[in-house]
Amino acid sequence: MEKKNRKSENIFRKLARWFVRFFMGIKYEEKWFKTGSTASDAENKTPDDSEFIVSPAKQAFKAYVERKFAVVAFIVVILMFLIVFIVPNFMTKYSDSYTEVTLKNLPPNLTMMSVPSELKNDIKTIDSYGPFSVGLSNAGKVYVWGCKKLGASGMDVNIPDEIKDIKMAYVAAGVDHIIAIGEDGKIYGWGSDRFGQYGRNQNSIDSSAIEAMPEELYENGVDVAHVKKLTCGYQATAILMDDGTVYVWGNKQTYPNMDNFLGRDDIVDIDFTLNYIVGIDSKQNGVFTGTRGLYDMAKTKIGAKSEKMFDFLNGRKITEINATTSSICLLLDDGTIALTGDFVADCIEVPTLAEGEYFADIKAGNYHYTALTNTGKVYSFGGDHYYQAEAPANIKNAAKIFTGAFQSYAVDTNGDYIDAWGFKGFPLGSDDVGANILERIICGGRITMTVGAVAVIIEILIGVSLGLIAGYYGGWVDILIMRIAEVFSSLPTIPIMLILTSLIAQMSLTTNQRLLMIMVVLGVLGWPGFANITRAQILVARESEYVTAAQAMGVRESRIAFKHILPNIISVILVSMTLSFAAAMQTETGLSFLGFGVNYPQPSWGNMLTKASNATAAKNFWWQWVFTSGILIFVGVCINTIGDTIRDVMDPKSSSDR
Amino acid sequence: MGRYIVKRILYILLVFAILTFLLFSLYRLMPANRAYTDAKTEMQGLKNSIAASERETKFDELYLKYQRLYGTDTDNTLILYLRWLGLYPYYDGNFNGIFQGNFGHSYEYNAPVVTVIGPHIRNSMIIGIVSEIFILAITIPLGIKCAVKRNTHFDRGVQAFSLVGFSTPSFIIYILFILLFSSILGWFPVSGMKTPGSNYTGLKMVGDTLWHIALPTICLIFSGLAYNIRITRASMLDALSLDCIRTARAKGLSQKAVIYSHAWRNALIPLVSVFVGGFFSIIGGAIFMESMFGFKGMGLLLFNSTKTADYDLIMFIQVIFVFIGLVANLVTDLCYGLVDPRVRISK
Repeated sequence: MEKKNRKSENIFRKLARWFVRFFMGIKYEEKWFKTGSTASDAENKTPDDSEFIVSPAKQAFKAYVERKFAVVAFIVVILMFLIVFIVPNFMTKYSDSYTEVTLKNLPPNLTMMSVPSELKNDIKTIDSYGPFSVGLSNAGKVYVWGCKKLGASGMDVNIPDEIKDIKMAYVAAGVDHIIAIGEDGKIYGWGSDRFGQYGRNQNSIDSSAIEAMPEELYENGVDVAHVKKLTCGYQATAILMDDGTVYVWGNKQTYPNMDNFLGRDDIVDIDFTLNYIVGIDSKQNGVFTGTRGLYDMAKTKIGAKSEKMFDFLNGRKITEINATTSSICLLLDDGTIALTGDFVADCIEVPTLAEGEYFADIKAGNYHYTALTNTGKVYSFGGDHYYQAEAPANIKNAAKIFTGAFQSYAVDTNGDYIDAWGFKGFPLGSDDVGANILERIICGGRITMTVGAVAVIIEILIGVSLGLIAGYYGGWVDILIMRIAEVFSSLPTIPIMLILTSLIAQMSLTTNQRLLMIMVVLGVLGWPGFANITRAQILVARESEYVTAAQAMGVRESRIAFKHILPNIISVILVSMTLSFAAAMQTETGLSFLGFGVNYPQPSWGNMLTKASNATAAKNFWWQWVFTSGILIFVGVCINTIGDTIRDVMDPKSSSDR
Repeated sequence: MGRYIVKRILYILLVFAILTFLLFSLYRLMPANRAYTDAKTEMQGLKNSIAASERETKFDELYLKYQRLYGTDTDNTLILYLRWLGLYPYYDGNFNGIFQGNFGHSYEYNAPVVTVIGPHIRNSMIIGIVSEIFILAITIPLGIKCAVKRNTHFDRGVQAFSLVGFSTPSFIIYILFILLFSSILGWFPVSGMKTPGSNYTGLKMVGDTLWHIALPTICLIFSGLAYNIRITRASMLDALSLDCIRTARAKGLSQKAVIYSHAWRNALIPLVSVFVGGFFSIIGGAIFMESMFGFKGMGLLLFNSTKTADYDLIMFIQVIFVFIGLVANLVTDLCYGLVDPRVRISK
C-alpha cells in the first residue's frame, strides 16, 4: 500500500517534500507528507525520535534568518522576480518595438501635464508638439512646462529673460522650438535654430534643405490683428493671415512639400503632420498638400470604410483642418467630421453624438483628437498609447479645449482650468527611440532573468545527472565524463559564446527560438561546475552509512544514486545554483551588450546598455544607463549575497567560530 | 614525470583533434562560399568578352577551378577537415593545410590569418600580462590580510567592495571609468591606440601609446580585483582553519611564519588553477575592454570577425582558444605538483 502511494507521488510533490525536509526537518516532512495514514498511526503516537533531532538544514535556516542583510536580499530577489514576471502582463500598451520620434532621449520627468498654477485661472492657449508644452495667459505671459532641457546639448526651451516681459498674442511649440507673436506684431523664437526654426542665421539662408524665415517677417513682424493662426510642426512653423496669406519656414527635409505653400494667398487653414504640410485652399473641397493622391479618401469613423473625398463631401465645405502625425481630422460646415490618413493600431473610436449635438471645435495632438461639442461636452478619440484619448466623462461646461502632443486640457468660459488627461512623462526617462525606460527595464528583466534561470536549470540537469553518474559508478565512466567536463570548462566562456551566438544568428529563427538557443548554449557551456561539485559530494556520500544500508538491502544502484544520495546533496547544489544564476545573468547581459545575445527590439538589461558604450551618449543621457546598470548590479549583489550566506550557514567550519 | 607529460600531451592532441573536427563541421554549416564569390567576381570582369550563351558554362568552369584551388570540391566533411589540417591532398596533389603552415585566409583583411592575428596577440599579451601582474600584486596581500583580520572593519570594507565589484558586469565598470577619466576629468583619451593623425616616432610614440593604453590597463586591473580578492580570502580562510595552523601557533611560531609559510602554502593549492587560468586567458583577450576602447587585441579581432563572418579567422582563433585551454589544464596540473608536495604527478 505504501509502496503504491510512493510511486504515484508526482514530481512537484516530491520536490516540495525535499524542500520541507531540507528547510524544516524530518518532523514536518512526516507530518505533511504522510502516506497511507492508518488508525494505528494515531494510537502509536509515542515520542517520535525525529522530533528531537534538529536537521542541519533547519539549523542553517535559523542561521540564515538571523542575518538581516541576507534576508533582505532574499526578499528583494523574490520581489524582483514577481515584478518582472507579473507586471508585464498588465502593461497592455507596451510593445517591444514601440518608437516615438518626438519623445526620444528625454530625462526622467513627470511634469509634462502640469500646467503652472499661475496659468490655471487665465488660460488663453496651450500648444505642444513634443516633450514640452507652452501656454499663454490672457495677460500675454508665456509659460513652458514639461522637459525643458532637450537633446545632447541640454538646450533650454524656457522663455529667454530678455523677452520675458513682452506681451504675447500667439504662441506655438514645435518639437524643439517655440514661436511667439508679440502684441506689437514682432515674431519671437527660441529653442533650437539648427534647422532654421526661427531667425535668419547664415546657415538657414544658405542651405537648400532649410527655408529661412521670410525677411519681411523677421524685420517687421506681422499685423497682429489679422493673424488667423500660428502653428508649429516638427521643425517648421506657419503663420496664416485672415486674407489667406501664409508664411511657412523651417526644416524642408521633414516637410518636402513646403515649396507648394510658399507665397500662397488662398489658404483657409493649415496644419502639420509629421511629414507633410496640409492645408485647405479657398475651394474648401479637399486637403491641399501640393502632392497628388495624398489624403483623398475620407471616412466618418476610424473603423469605417473610406470613400473618395469628393463623393464623401458631397457639396459640403471643409472649415477646419487638424492634423496628427499621420492622420487628419476635418471639420465640415455642417458640424460633422471627416477622417483621412493612417491611424495607429490602438485607437479609441469616434464618439456617437446625441441628437442635436455637433462638434464645435476639434484639436489634434500627435496621435489623438479632442473634440468639444455645442453642449460643452468633451470627447477624445484616436491613438491612445498614453491614455490621452480617454477623456474623463464628468467634464461639463467646457468652453475651450487644448491639446498637447500627448495631453488634452479642458478650460471653462472664464479661462479656468478644468481638467487634463494624457501623458505625464517618463519616470526613468526615455531611450534613443523614445521608448519608456522603466517599461523596458521591467520587460528586459523578465528576459534577462528567464535566460539566467533556464540556463541554470539546463546546467543543473546536465551537470548533476552526469556528476551523479560519474561519482556513483566511478571507473571509466567517471574518467570519460570528467574529461569531457574538463574540456568544457577549459574553453574561454565569452569568446566561445560569441562564436556560437553568431552561428545562431546565421540560422533563420524566430526571436523566441533564438532566445531558447541562447539559453541552451549558456546551459551547455556551464554544466561542468555542477558535475564537479556533485561528483565530489557523491564520493563522500558513497561511503556513508545510509548508502551502505541501502546497498545491503539490495536497492538498485540507480535508485540509490537518485533517490538516496541526491536529496542529501541538494544543499550544495542550491548554493551553486544561486551563484550560477548570477553568473548566467551576467553572461547574458554581456553578450547582449556586445550585440550577440538578445537583440533589439526585445529588451534585455544587457542590450539596453549598448548605447552607453559611447562616451558622449553616456555623459549626456545618463538616465539611459544609470538605472539599468544600477538594477543589474543591485540584483547581482542580492543574489550573490544569498549564495554566500547559504554557503556560510551550511558550512559547519565557518559558522561554528563566528 | 616525463611519461606523465607525454601521456597528457597525447591526450591533448586527441581531444584537440576531436574538438577541432566538431568545430570544423559546425562551420561547414555556415553560408560562406569563397569559391562561389571569387568565381562570381571573376565572371563580372569577363562578362563583356563572353557570349551570353557561354556564360553559364564558363561560370561553372570558373567555379570548379576555384573549388579545386580552395579544396572545396567535395562535400565530405572528413576530407575537408583533413585538407584543412594538411593530411589529405588537394585536387592538384599538393598538401596545403595547418601542417604546411597554411592556417587559412582572412576575407576581410585579405591576408593570411597568421599575419592578421600576430599583432593582435602581441597587444593582448602585453596589456594582459601587465594587468595580471598588478592584479595579483594587489589581490594576494589584500586577500591574505582580509582573511587574517577577518570581521574587522577593514575586512568588511574590502568584502563589500569585492561583493559589489563581483556583481558588476565588467562593461559597466568600463563605462564608469571612461566617463570619469575621459569625459569628465579628461585625463585619458576615450579610445584608440594612438593620437589620430599623429606621426610620432621614437620616444614620443612610446609615450603616446602608453598614454592611450593607460586607461584600458587600469580598467582591466580594476575589473579583475573583486573576483581574485574573494577567492584568495576564501581559500586563505579555509587554510587558516586547518589543524596544522593550530599546531604551528602552538609551537610558538611567529605570526608571519604561520601565515606565509604554513597557511599561504595551503591556500595556494586551490588558487593555482585560477592564477594559471588567468594568465592563459590573456591570449583570449578582454572582449569588453577591447571593443569599448577600440584596443586592437584578440578580443576585438574576434568581435569584428564574428560581425563580418570572417570564418577562416574565427576558426583559427577558435583553434587557438581550444589549444590554449587544453595546455592551461596541463600547466595547472603540473603547477599543482610544484605547489602541493602531496601530489606526485609521476605516479
